[in-house]
Amino acid sequence: MRGFTHYISGLAAATFFPALVADIRMGTLAAVIAAASAYFPDFVDFKFGKFFARRDYEIDPAPWDEKKHYAPKLVKIKDLSEKNRYQFFAIEGRVEEILTKGSGTMSYEVFDEKGNVKTVTEEYNTIVFILNDGTGKITVEAFGDDYKIFEEEFGQIEEGKEMLVFGYVDVDPDGSLRFVVSDAPHPQGIADIIAEAIEKAYEEGEKIVKIHNIRLPGDVYRQFWIHLDPPKREVRVEMGPIVTPGGVAIGGEPPEYRKYGIARVNVPFIKTYPKPTRIDSFSGPEIAFRLTKHQGKTVVKDRFLPWHHGFSHSMTMGVIIGAVVFLLAKLFGYSHATDLALASMIGQWLHVFEDQLGFMGSNLFPPITKDVIPGFKLGESGSGLTNFSTAWLMIALMIWNFNRFTDPRPIPISDARLLLYLIWPSIIGFGIAIVRSIRLRKELAKLMDYYTNLEAFEELEEVGGI
Amino acid sequence: MLPLSDLLIWSFAGVLFGSLISWIPGFHIYNIIALLVAVFGVGELMPVQAFPFFAVGAIVAYAYVSAISSVYFSVADESAVFLLFPTQRYLLLGRGHEAVLLYLIGAVAGTLILVLGMLFVFPKVLPPIYQATSPYITYFLVAIVLFMFMSEWPKEGDRGKTVKERLWLAWRQILGGIFVFFLSGILGFIVTNTNILPATSAYTRLTPMFIGFFGMSWVILNILSNPPMLPQKPEDKVESSIYNTLKASFGGALGGTIAAVYPIITGGMGAMVAGHMTSQRGDDAFIISQGVNRVLYYVGAFSLLFLPNLRLTRGAGAWLVSSLYTPKSYSEYIAAIGVILLASGISFLFTYGLSRLIARSFNVMHIKKVSYFVAAVLVVISYLLTGWMGVVVLFVSTAIGLMAAAFNTRRSYCLGGLILPVLLSMTGHTEVFMHLLGLG
Repeated sequence: MRGFTHYISGLAAATFFPALVADIRMGTLAAVIAAASAYFPDFVDFKFGKFFARRDYEIDPAPWDEKKHYAPKLVKIKDLSEKNRYQFFAIEGRVEEILTKGSGTMSYEVFDEKGNVKTVTEEYNTIVFILNDGTGKITVEAFGDDYKIFEEEFGQIEEGKEMLVFGYVDVDPDGSLRFVVSDAPHPQGIADIIAEAIEKAYEEGEKIVKIHNIRLPGDVYRQFWIHLDPPKREVRVEMGPIVTPGGVAIGGEPPEYRKYGIARVNVPFIKTYPKPTRIDSFSGPEIAFRLTKHQGKTVVKDRFLPWHHGFSHSMTMGVIIGAVVFLLAKLFGYSHATDLALASMIGQWLHVFEDQLGFMGSNLFPPITKDVIPGFKLGESGSGLTNFSTAWLMIALMIWNFNRFTDPRPIPISDARLLLYLIWPSIIGFGIAIVRSIRLRKELAKLMDYYTNLEAFEELEEVGGI
Repeated sequence: MLPLSDLLIWSFAGVLFGSLISWIPGFHIYNIIALLVAVFGVGELMPVQAFPFFAVGAIVAYAYVSAISSVYFSVADESAVFLLFPTQRYLLLGRGHEAVLLYLIGAVAGTLILVLGMLFVFPKVLPPIYQATSPYITYFLVAIVLFMFMSEWPKEGDRGKTVKERLWLAWRQILGGIFVFFLSGILGFIVTNTNILPATSAYTRLTPMFIGFFGMSWVILNILSNPPMLPQKPEDKVESSIYNTLKASFGGALGGTIAAVYPIITGGMGAMVAGHMTSQRGDDAFIISQGVNRVLYYVGAFSLLFLPNLRLTRGAGAWLVSSLYTPKSYSEYIAAIGVILLASGISFLFTYGLSRLIARSFNVMHIKKVSYFVAAVLVVISYLLTGWMGVVVLFVSTAIGLMAAAFNTRRSYCLGGLILPVLLSMTGHTEVFMHLLGLG
């Protein structure tokens, strides 16, 4: 659920305590601590936990320019190495020598909606030249659709011309670096590192990958998707259009020949969430790959945002919050310390329960439980339907409690009838969410059965003793 | 009640007045109405009973036409705080007119929701709900302010090399926001509780502060950033969907209604709450929801003055009008609904036409020149309403507004100028704070 949904649940929790409601009416606003407690798990995770989290692999497809805080970063040729393969940069230099200029035919693979591969062959124009920026030299190549844009931008390329060129770094078979003109990084680099992380996790137990987003000038982002495909044992990365922070595509689709990156994974893995991971605005995600048992077989399983939904999202933490609030309230001489502590604990528990309705789940009773308990899959955390239904329910409960605890009652009807009048939108919302959830759970169960019976799993069982 | 012909004439005059000034960057309808009252008075040129209808016309026009300054000149008040960045992007893509059209879709939806609400829902539902919840307004207000602080999304920090560096990058923005809130609060407290401004400016003492926070600071940013004047497409085309429009209308109506009914909770704060509740995403949805939100926030809040069984005074416009004349009958309430529909129709056409005109001739006059002119006018307005000390307040609040931009934090933190003094007053801590500042 979204932050405010949790927060308002804490606000509502406090209104179940008549003493706290009376205090609010008198201007003592300590009850707001219950709301802060309800939001506390996300506050801790996103303001602290996220920054302390370990990163075994850091994927930065387009490093930021340190001054401008967006990509591409202006680099010196001497600073580039094989490590920068497929990353997106800018280089400013002088054309030293034009090596070739002409046309040819190229073939590349593209994927359809189901992930099937087809080969495309097309004619293209190209230019290859040496660029010197005073710190070193690099071969620059523009071809295909990128050649057209390059020609429009720079016109005739002549030796001695000064220019600023964008593109990704590539490595030739002989180990020398090449700079390919483009408006985005090549997705192959992202796919390769994720595949390596999955394989390492299979050997060593757990690997955490941080994937940075691609921010471009004008506060827009290059969107990309990561598809983990367990049946095919592939990681596919798809480079998408340029989008605004609000997710609206504003063009800039990469050409098909550098739209996909595909990496083979040599160990079995499963994906727990049935959608690809999309990366665009705000910040990029962290994904943990953990060795685990799935229906008796050893596989690597993904865990989105591993620093999230840990101890902060447990019932144990709720008890700790209640105890701390009680002690502080007593210290400050607040007369309804017990009520406030209970409201704060319930507020935090509501957060845990509401998140448990989604996909991620939480580690509910640490240290007794060690890992997350899967969510009920009622809706995604960003679902408007479940967020609104929950938030509305909380508003309704607040109004209901305010009315119950006021004498004479401002709304002079029975409690049951008032509650029914107030909560019907939430009942409808949850009803729709439950119907959708039943459908989704059936699909997921089918998918998990499919994973379990994969030929790829059996094959490895024979050779690797999984 | 006024004869229908007079009512129509004065309402139309209000729409005309609102339309003519609301597209100018930095101008807020409340400031201009206050200036009108201060300079010309009401009762001589205009009958006092006509004043609420004149104001409805002007406020409806503002809710529609101010989209022009938000989109093309990057200046809007706090209630459009979420609108600014998506529309700036649309403008940079040459799609400013499309942003205005999206806003207008929202404004029309907002008008329909408001009118239906006024006819069938508000008279029955609002009074009991308001009565049950009004003693707890301070609780909601403190809760929203605390949530604003707690939910600030760190925009940086991810790329820090060490934990310490990541934490610092994230928290400098969060701490900057808190600093802006309290600085604004102290300024607001001084303006509200001392005689720094003349007693004759009772109704307009907050005006220079708000002009500085939300108007002048953007005008200065326009001058400093010197944005490129890119050609704009004047075509009548929008990229959105019916689902997005309905979802955005619902969220916008929710946020606008919360802000309209509860005091101190502004359009921006209402939008933040509703945006979280309905989990909005997408620039088109944001802009549409802002159109709905601003109509409900401005026009809805003012309309509550007409509701005979509730008669709430919400917003500076309503306070100004109610000091001269408060409508009393259901016939005036129904007339107000009619005026809202009429004014919305005229304002829609005016905004649409003006947007097409500006889109066609966007690069004729550079925004920097317009901004110099507007800055001078804002100083003059502040001086006329509150004297030289008002101009000093304007400069201080402008600096605070610029600080919010420099810290890359929410501009709505400047609302501390309103919220902090009100909270201190509601909780009985005004005297303590006076002592703390060495003022009492």
